[in-house]
Amino acid sequence: MIGQTIANALITSAFYALVAVGLTLVFGVMKIVNFAHGEFYMLGAYAIYVLYARNSWPYFAALVMGIVLVGILGAVTERIIFRPLRGQLIPGFIASIGLVFILQVAVGRLWGVGKMKRVPAPYKGEVVRVGGVSVDVQRIMVFVGAIVLIAILILFLNRTRIGRALRASAQDATAAALQGISVNRASAIAMLIGCAMAGAAGALMAPVMSVYPYMGGMVIWMAFVIVIIGGQGNLKGAILASALFGFLDTILTTVFDSTISNLLITVFLLVFLAIRPQGLLGHAE
Amino acid sequence: MAILELQGLRKQFGELVAVDDLDMSIEEGEIRGLIGPNGSGKTTVFNCITGFLHPTRGKVIWQGEDITGQPPHMVASRGMARTFQLTNLFRDMTALQNVVMACHLHTGMGLVKQYLMTRGTKRRDREIEEKSVAILEAMGIAHVKDEISGSLPHGHQEALGVAMALATEPKMLLLDEPVTGMNPSETKDMMERIKHLRDTGITILLVEHDMKAVMSTCEEITVINFGRKICQGSPDHVCSHQEVIEAYLGRS
Amino acid sequence: MRNSKTLTTTLVLVVLAVVGAVLPFLLSHYYVDLLTMLFVNIILVSSFRLITIIGDWSLAHLPLMGAGAYASALITGTLGWPFWPSLLLSAIIAGVIALLMSVPLSRTTGFSFFIASYAAGEAMRLCWTRFRQPFGGHTGLANIPDPGSIGAVDFSRPIPYYFLALLITAVCLWLMYRVCRSRIGATFHAIHSQKSLARALGINVVKYKMLVFVIGGFFAGVAGVILVHRMWAISPNQFGFTPTLYLLVWVVFGGTGTFAGPIIGVSVLTLIDQLLDPLAEWLPMFYGAILILTLLFLPEGLEGVPKRLQSWYRRRQDGGKASEDSTTPENVTTEEQD
Repeated sequence: MIGQTIANALITSAFYALVAVGLTLVFGVMKIVNFAHGEFYMLGAYAIYVLYARNSWPYFAALVMGIVLVGILGAVTERIIFRPLRGQLIPGFIASIGLVFILQVAVGRLWGVGKMKRVPAPYKGEVVRVGGVSVDVQRIMVFVGAIVLIAILILFLNRTRIGRALRASAQDATAAALQGISVNRASAIAMLIGCAMAGAAGALMAPVMSVYPYMGGMVIWMAFVIVIIGGQGNLKGAILASALFGFLDTILTTVFDSTISNLLITVFLLVFLAIRPQGLLGHAE
Repeated sequence: MAILELQGLRKQFGELVAVDDLDMSIEEGEIRGLIGPNGSGKTTVFNCITGFLHPTRGKVIWQGEDITGQPPHMVASRGMARTFQLTNLFRDMTALQNVVMACHLHTGMGLVKQYLMTRGTKRRDREIEEKSVAILEAMGIAHVKDEISGSLPHGHQEALGVAMALATEPKMLLLDEPVTGMNPSETKDMMERIKHLRDTGITILLVEHDMKAVMSTCEEITVINFGRKICQGSPDHVCSHQEVIEAYLGRS
Repeated sequence: MRNSKTLTTTLVLVVLAVVGAVLPFLLSHYYVDLLTMLFVNIILVSSFRLITIIGDWSLAHLPLMGAGAYASALITGTLGWPFWPSLLLSAIIAGVIALLMSVPLSRTTGFSFFIASYAAGEAMRLCWTRFRQPFGGHTGLANIPDPGSIGAVDFSRPIPYYFLALLITAVCLWLMYRVCRSRIGATFHAIHSQKSLARALGINVVKYKMLVFVIGGFFAGVAGVILVHRMWAISPNQFGFTPTLYLLVWVVFGGTGTFAGPIIGVSVLTLIDQLLDPLAEWLPMFYGAILILTLLFLPEGLEGVPKRLQSWYRRRQDGGKASEDSTTPENVTTEEQD
């Protein structure tokens, strides 16, 4: 039982981390919280539904294509919506809420709202059993996929010129300019990568859960809490917080239920914000 | 009797020590200068005294009472008023309206009474208006009382900032760089008025960069550098103090 | 100058009163109910706007409306109280809940407050969802009593209820307007424009933040009571994310600089709503688009239109000379770093 819970918690943490890391990147570079991040997750899942389930693409091709498309869409929304509002926290957030509804309705109109879509698993319900713990292969794929993508991101941010410029941009726009990257370019890239990662999470999860236009809602709040408590814009913090909340959520849901888990975590966030001596923009000083 | 005393005041921001075990004692009726090079911690001291920052250690004693860490509105209600470096004014309102607002904000009043009173219809408002004009006169800006404060020249804005602090009827005035950006004649005028304020019984603590202004106005000067007191005494004493000279020359 | 403005305002109010009194007899019951809902929303946006005077945008507003709604549902349903005492008590309960929320919330500001207020409201909403006793859980409560009758007037009918709502709305707006014009309102404005200065002049900002939040919560509760005794059923979803979005659109679109701005915003958008009724499934998308377009191109909302028309007209008068166009989006709210 405990082993099972730990396995579930690990997978949940990895999943949350994949989503939260993208949101953190966007916040760090653009100083905007994109509440539509959950919808990019949803779009990634729909990419799999449309390409793999409806049009019989090979699964990995659909996965890659989905990630790319969602990333590009992210960059487009950056250009149109978020660039003019960069740095304005509340307007940017409100605008992202508007985007949530635009995307939800668009998807609902295109592919219907009614029944949730089922995406067949690429590995038909195969389950791995170790000891007393059973996990289906698709969930393991989520776990592995998340870790791989996050590792790639960290390498990218630390080893490539563009990546380092992004990190500099998160600290200070002038520093980024000195590194040879304009703030606009940095924002576009951050949004592209961030949304692509959300899309990846959705694409990986599509076979595991039902696909419907409002599936982003479940994910965004947790990602949001993680980003805030993990220290907004702080990647390491986000990963640690993902682990913390992945475990917390799993344990609370197992012992009580998901509503109670949601409730307690929400209260935790409230208390956290009230106790923090500085506002959200200030780093720990 | 010391009206304001700082005992071992210390303020750290993470690893940065902005104020380092500062002891200072100000007598009632003094005009005290607090000087030091840029970044020496003068405004931080101000903020610690007036409650805008919590000291990491140490005490702030006001009229014999420990007020360390009390919030700014409590400090203000106890009789300490301050001005701000970048003059904070209600920029869309006239100079007179600014001072009237300051009077209103200062007057504590039950919420029900506040709800029942609308602006500008009660007899009391006339008294407040008269009082505000008098304050503006004391600061020499009564002639611009109906000008929008945001459009006033810098010197007048500074004077207005002091006027608003005066509206709270303080026992002590903490002035944060009141003559920065003023020409010599404006500076002289302001310093004269500050001296006059002291003569009416208000203790003054003055942070300033303008050496001439400080030396000619303050009777006692405290010099700090890197958050630490390096000298205290009369203007002559301070001028000839080795460390002080080094602190200023070394910086430029 | 002052007199002509008061004259115009009085004239407008009289016209509105006359129209309001006559309209329900000219429209079908569907539209009468619609107007009743508009009144509910007018109270909602006005009380929201009150909180923005001090500089904060609260996402707990819909949940607080729900608090009033649930309270009245339980007080009239389970306890069997009559409508009017329940109205007052429920609004007070909403105010008290706002007071409790404001204890942690008043320690936050700007964006922190925004998020924390969402967390506070959502926590309460999750309680309604989770606990079937007494809140009815996910499906909510039904069979909520109507206000009954006074003499021959039956308040379960649309038209009498319309006038009930109209009366309560008028009273609420008057009370809120008085707050704005009072010294309390002046203090709220002072805190918003110069927080440090206000503190240095003796204002306990935390106390005033709590006060404005409680007042806002109280009136949100009133709105909830009017809602629930017309719908006779409520569920947690009515006070969640989507309705909150609509509130934000109304307020952003109308503007928050004046008392009337949000009211005009919600009225215009409700009208547009009706005109677009055949396209109802597209509505959230439409609202999302309006929100974004307003934020990008007309950040002051409708309130900014007269000014822009003025400067456009002036530019035409200058012979079409290209002048600086203030289309850079100003902050919808100011981000305060304390």
